[in-house]
Amino acid sequence: MRIQKVFLAAALIAAAPLCLFSQGVTLELLIHQNAPLVDYITSFNEKFHAQYPNITVNVSVVKADELATSTQTRLTANDVDIIDMFGFAQGIQPFMKNADKPNWQTLIEAGLLMDLTGQPFLKNYDASAVRDAGSFNGKVYEVNTGRYAFTGVFYNKDLFKKYGVKVPTTWGQLVAACQTFKKNNIAPMTAGGKDGWPVLVAGYGILLSAYPDQAALVKGLWTGSITWNDARSLDMWKKMQVLARDMIEPGASGIAFDAAPGRFASGAAAMLPAGSWDAPAIAAANPKLNFGYFPMPGSDNPADNKYLAGKYDVGWIVAAGTDKKDAAMKWLAFFSQPENYQAYVNATGIMPTQPTAKLNTVLGREVAPYLANFRLGYELLWVNPKGFGQWAQPNASFFKPFNQWDDARKLADQAQADLDAGLKANR
Amino acid sequence: MKGLPAGFSRRASSSRVVMFIVLLALAAVYLGPLLSVVNVSLQTSQEFSLDPTALARQPQFANFVTAWNKANFPLYLRNSLLYTVVATAVYVLTAVFVAFPIARRYVRGSGFLFSLFVVALFLPYALIPQFQLMLRLRLYNTPVGYILLFLVDPIGIVILVNYIRSIPRELDEAAAMDGSGYTRFVLRVLFPLIKPALASVIVLHAIGIWNEYVTPLIYLPKKALMPITRGLMVFYGQYGNDWTTLAAAILMLTLPIVALFLALQRWIYAGVLQGSVRG
Amino acid sequence: MKLGYYFGGRASRLVPYLLLLPGMLLYFFVSLGPSLATVFYSFTDASGLLGAPMHFVGLSNYQEFLFMGQNIRDNADVLVRTLEFSFLVTVIQTGLGLAAAMLLNQRLAATTVFRTVFFLPVILGVTIVGLTWTLFLYPVGGPAEKLLNLLGGRSEFLGGPPFQAFLWVTWVQIWANMGVTMIIFLGGLQTIPSELVEAARMDGAGGWQTFRSVTFPLLTPSLNTNLTLAIIGSLQAWQLLLVMKGVTNGTQVLGLIIYAIAFGRTSANPTSVAMRQGYGAAASVVLFVLVLIIGMGAQVLMRQRERRVLG
Repeated sequence: MRIQKVFLAAALIAAAPLCLFSQGVTLELLIHQNAPLVDYITSFNEKFHAQYPNITVNVSVVKADELATSTQTRLTANDVDIIDMFGFAQGIQPFMKNADKPNWQTLIEAGLLMDLTGQPFLKNYDASAVRDAGSFNGKVYEVNTGRYAFTGVFYNKDLFKKYGVKVPTTWGQLVAACQTFKKNNIAPMTAGGKDGWPVLVAGYGILLSAYPDQAALVKGLWTGSITWNDARSLDMWKKMQVLARDMIEPGASGIAFDAAPGRFASGAAAMLPAGSWDAPAIAAANPKLNFGYFPMPGSDNPADNKYLAGKYDVGWIVAAGTDKKDAAMKWLAFFSQPENYQAYVNATGIMPTQPTAKLNTVLGREVAPYLANFRLGYELLWVNPKGFGQWAQPNASFFKPFNQWDDARKLADQAQADLDAGLKANR
Repeated sequence: MKGLPAGFSRRASSSRVVMFIVLLALAAVYLGPLLSVVNVSLQTSQEFSLDPTALARQPQFANFVTAWNKANFPLYLRNSLLYTVVATAVYVLTAVFVAFPIARRYVRGSGFLFSLFVVALFLPYALIPQFQLMLRLRLYNTPVGYILLFLVDPIGIVILVNYIRSIPRELDEAAAMDGSGYTRFVLRVLFPLIKPALASVIVLHAIGIWNEYVTPLIYLPKKALMPITRGLMVFYGQYGNDWTTLAAAILMLTLPIVALFLALQRWIYAGVLQGSVRG
Repeated sequence: MKLGYYFGGRASRLVPYLLLLPGMLLYFFVSLGPSLATVFYSFTDASGLLGAPMHFVGLSNYQEFLFMGQNIRDNADVLVRTLEFSFLVTVIQTGLGLAAAMLLNQRLAATTVFRTVFFLPVILGVTIVGLTWTLFLYPVGGPAEKLLNLLGGRSEFLGGPPFQAFLWVTWVQIWANMGVTMIIFLGGLQTIPSELVEAARMDGAGGWQTFRSVTFPLLTPSLNTNLTLAIIGSLQAWQLLLVMKGVTNGTQVLGLIIYAIAFGRTSANPTSVAMRQGYGAAASVVLFVLVLIIGMGAQVLMRQRERRVLG
């Protein structure tokens, strides 16, 4: 007995310095709520821990609309190491006077984001993605992991076949398709109206068809050469009203953004105008579903409907004040390894920013023809002038039943008046 | 004197029946939403998608198990209790030692100090500088920092001062002559005497902390530190479209709160009443 | 009247001061100081990020919040909505609380049970109450919709036109807090001596007359307490709005907008909105002025009425 105790004591004493050497490090990671992303990161962290047993990753998840707030407060308090931040957007352009800086710029200027220029793992990524989505003043601050399209419409191939509906390439065809479904008691479209932004996103396809060059749109609005109530815009507003009022099913305002894919997958609705990030959720809700994705035909001219627009989505930034830089770089490097990155792409359905990765899913195949002409969406480029009014946004959810407007002409005029108020105030 | 309830009508018993029906209707408005939560917590997800008001066919107690596993209720409850109890206890202790000398004018400038507290109801919203203060003191995302925010409450001071003023000064004098020091007097003699006011201060303060949602939203992003109010919202954010599990979660939080309330209800009512009479 | 100190001589005269110090220091650092600092911040363009540069900008935050472009309309909307919220909550909650108290005071049956039921939401807290009602108001076949269908109507409840959603949240706020109002009135009712009521009866007064001439005037202290609590509380209350509606245009009140500005959530699509704590501080000062004017004004009116009614 005694000898065993002595052995035990000796072992513990011998082990003590080992414990000091292999001090565990905990990386704090902050991501936003997106079921496939959360699931992938959880399993990825386990793999990472197996590879580097002394590094544990602690993940916090917040809703997408709380992400910017959490990012700023936690960076300021310096209690987070790696954060998922959407690709740098809404940068200030020369023609924008007196506009508010975007949060990533204020963070960079406050010295809170770590400069990642020259890190070896950056070489795995598309140079253009690194430059467009994660750089400022020539330095790299974010590793962007991919893009999503948000001007398309998911459709139920079986339902389309059953009722003899072909994929619409003009607005007129889309309207007719919706009427066919309504006649047969199928909801033409559903959306996550409860959270507001899904209906906004649903309308982006119409915006794109009206103004295929979104960068020019932004500049035109600021300089006054394009207005929200000229003929082209008015047509766009009218179509948005039809979308909100007639195409999206009644009661959609009670459906949360993460419930809409399930509803579509169950066959209750024939179409779901949403971002391509919903594809994994749809497939998970109903693996037998035959679905596809087509660009929202917001124009009567098929040539205007050939594009997909979207955004740079999840990207990783590192807190400048972190004392675990080494561990953080290891995590990013491990994430960026081609096999891990491909697994990430497969899980989240994101369009890859690494040239070697392929999106081998249903969605990937549907979207592939449009990738050559992929463009950044309006919301990525637009910056509000100070003093602008709340209606100066191309937002389909302004219409009833989601909000108070039921006259497209009046809303168009109000939107322009609200924009003018801001432009004038800053001249 | 405790008189007959005002408006007591012996005669018209038909009007009493009417009044009772009105009471029942109001109670229905109060219980209705809670009952629908009970019903949904026992449905399956399909039943809910088809018809949220349908009575659950077979009670799905599995929902409760899922909610329990996915959420961290013991943790959230413990945190809420911790913050409420600690903050209230420390606050009450410091508050009495502030209110007593002000009420008795044992410190110079009592009048001025008192008016500082009275004015506090109308002060500008201090959220932003408080946030900066917490950051600089490195108390962000810590239990100590969070509790610190609830160690002040001017309304309590006002209630205490008013009540203490109604206690005769001679008591102080007598106790002092008996050899009691200041501290001992406050702790041994004063505290028991001001029980009604203490009850109201404790109850008002505790309910305030218990119900806070925004403060933990800002200052406690770490899940392990969240109180119930925040924890439940986080659960809702993650499983927001899974209403059956969510309803089960809501119920699981409601039951211990109701139990606590029933146990303490007499104190709570007394506290609210006392506060109203004096405040 | 001798205002002496009894508890000892020179050294121990300091004891009250020393024991007062912790409480006062806390008050200065946690409450008074930050409140005053808000005014200071309102004249800067502080973002709130530590380490970010901060400059004095004079009155330009106020100019922007109150007078720039469409902010005149949008922020005035918010101010008006704050006042609407406060008015509706104060009036309806007080009225309903009074009615409930009067009913309970009749000692009809199961008074304790009813009292518990009405007071329960106060204890349950804003999250449970908010989520319970979100479920009840579920627009796709939820209980409220079923009831409305019976009456032949339909509604999107919280998802529909903003003003409608706003009214619903206002109702839930009233529902949740009526319990406190009711208890305070109950206490007040119990202090009314029965002789006065009996005397009024003998003089031939009916129920309503008795209420108007005897009960209601004597309830003035409770009424004033309830009104004060409701007015000031509702001007600053917005947690329920955050839980039930979040940060969306058309339903905000001033408190909510201050939070949104200060923490970078002022857009429906807040991917890149920066925190603006200097600007937010200016909005806080505007709220303060509002609370001051209305709160003090109400106090003055209530004191006048109290003097007139109770002599």
